[in-house]
Amino acid sequence: MGLVDMMKILIVEDEKAIRELIDMQLTLAGYDCQTAEDGVIGANLIEANSFDLILLDIMLPGVSGFELMDYIRPTKTPVIFITAKHEVSDRVKGLRLGADDYLVKPFDMVELLARVEAVLRRYHKAESVMEIEGVTIDFDAYRADKNGHKLELTAKEFGLLSLFVHNKNIALYRDMIYERVWESDFDGDSRTVDLHVQRLRKKLGWEHCLVTVFKVGYRLEVPK
Amino acid sequence: MKFSLKLFLWTISIVAATLAVGGYYIVNSMFQTSLARETKQVMDESGIIRFGFEISALNIPYKYEHLQDQDIARIAQRLDTGGENRYVRICGEDSVPLYASEGFPTGSVSIKGDMDQGFEDGGSAKELAYRIIPIDRRYYIQTAATLGIIDRSLSLETLTDITNVFTEREAGFSIYRRVCIVILICEGIIIFMSSYWLTRPVRFLSVAAKKMAKGNYGARAKKISSDELGSLTQDFNEMAMSLEENVYQLQEAARAQEEFVGVFAHELKTPLTAIIGYADMMRSQKLEEEKLLLSADYIYQEGRRLEKLSFNLLDLIVLKRTEKPTGTFHTKAIFEYIRDTFSKFDVNLRIQYEECEVYGEMSLIKTMVANLVDNAVKVSEPSGLVEVTGTASDSRYTFTIHDCGCGIPPEHLSRLTEAFYMVDKSRSRSRHGAGLGLTLCAEIARLHGTDLTIVSVVGMGTTVSFNLEVLNNE
Repeated sequence: MGLVDMMKILIVEDEKAIRELIDMQLTLAGYDCQTAEDGVIGANLIEANSFDLILLDIMLPGVSGFELMDYIRPTKTPVIFITAKHEVSDRVKGLRLGADDYLVKPFDMVELLARVEAVLRRYHKAESVMEIEGVTIDFDAYRADKNGHKLELTAKEFGLLSLFVHNKNIALYRDMIYERVWESDFDGDSRTVDLHVQRLRKKLGWEHCLVTVFKVGYRLEVPK
Repeated sequence: MKFSLKLFLWTISIVAATLAVGGYYIVNSMFQTSLARETKQVMDESGIIRFGFEISALNIPYKYEHLQDQDIARIAQRLDTGGENRYVRICGEDSVPLYASEGFPTGSVSIKGDMDQGFEDGGSAKELAYRIIPIDRRYYIQTAATLGIIDRSLSLETLTDITNVFTEREAGFSIYRRVCIVILICEGIIIFMSSYWLTRPVRFLSVAAKKMAKGNYGARAKKISSDELGSLTQDFNEMAMSLEENVYQLQEAARAQEEFVGVFAHELKTPLTAIIGYADMMRSQKLEEEKLLLSADYIYQEGRRLEKLSFNLLDLIVLKRTEKPTGTFHTKAIFEYIRDTFSKFDVNLRIQYEECEVYGEMSLIKTMVANLVDNAVKVSEPSGLVEVTGTASDSRYTFTIHDCGCGIPPEHLSRLTEAFYMVDKSRSRSRHGAGLGLTLCAEIARLHGTDLTIVSVVGMGTTVSFNLEVLNNE
């Protein structure tokens, strides 16, 4: 896991429940998190520390998220906006102010992790090459090797692999897997997911760690 | 066609027609008068000549059996001294001219034959007749008379040039035409300017109406007269004002609606995000027991918040459609309910009331007072004083809820009853507040025909009051 363990993320969010939720999820995923409940505390933390990523709520009491961007921009820290608004104008404003991505409430854990991972990778803060259970995965080249041999993976299988390695030790539900990898609504037919997971398991030789969660889906189990 | 142009054209045509008819009548009547005068003169002269001829003929001695042609000519020559304009001719039997003045217009029709039939324009007698004839572009009065001479059948003709009468008429017409044109031009300029000036209010109205049609509801027409057009302008402006007001209200309502939807979405999404997030984490990961309990607690709390939000919203929707309550209740029930409900809280609750029967829906008033007392308790320090009083005066019964809490800054006061408006967001969130309590209270108050009166001093406390109508037992 290497660098990921040391990734420092600042969460600025006034809702306690959501602040702790993001904190808990990112900590579980192996990030080092700090939280701020309003813009002033956030600004102080930004001045005193250096972060790899900032998750910023737009509707903050006191100093708003948009205003806080003025503090963040000089540090060149990537920012993901958290917004409850679906309006395009708000998102455009956020992106124009220098945000790298946005997260619309409500969001689920996988989406949060995926966006964090994507932004970090864009900034080359996350590794584009990962080694896990004897398999080397190069996300930029869309390529996976085992024992020096290139594995022949289809696009969907590579997507599956990517999803699993980014959500280690997390039970991934079939509907969620389908929505993420196939990018369409799950229609209740789970055989597509099962078929692909079984083929992937066989190709990688991951029968021991890519386990089936009864009645739910699959989980990639790796020692922490 | 423009109204001012229409006005101009109509007026100018009427003036022109009047001038033409009137002028023609005047000139023509003058002409008729001079013509009649000339005619009379000519007739008189003709009569004199006839008379003179007959007298002269009688005085000629009878040498012959009848009057000789040369005698006739002689007499005629003597009598023909009337001037340049008059010509005389005497014809014998078979219309043979026996005498004609020098320059008697040749080509003139002999009048003899006509005389037998009578002239068209006068003189039925065979003795004397006249007519007006044009010869070679000149006008003459021709007279004819039978001369009563023994043995001879003679006729006397005179021809008098009256062209000048006709020329005068032509000249009259020509002068009158020129005068008319000058009058019409002057008149035209005046009418054009005045019709342009008179229709100015209409043009102002049109400009204002066009502006309004383009969405500029602040446009007004300038009022420049006090006549019907002026009052029309005033009516238009009044209409525009009420229209502008309506549009403004509609825009305000739309804006408020939009804001409500936006805030509502936010209020809904925050608990939903927490519930979905924690549940997702619990179902996908093996959590330590501490984290598991924490997550479950968040789900519970946020669920409660959603519950409260939805109930409050439902109440609001129902209240908006409720008719004004007509029931009555005793105020004692309200205060006893408040005493029961809030006695377990850590506040110094002081309740003082007069018993009275008032108009209103008890359950709604109960909700309202409980909400207000709940707010008061929330802002109070532990063991802080909260006073709930009910006083009757005349026909109104006043409920007052007073606390000694932190108070509300004046800039927040006007917006307190707006949906989802929270003075201290994190503080009310921690108590599952959704920002709908005062909105609900204000709505209940409105339903009962009263208002929430909120008086607050920062650092001193807040007093909220409203009143209800007392039931008159007498």
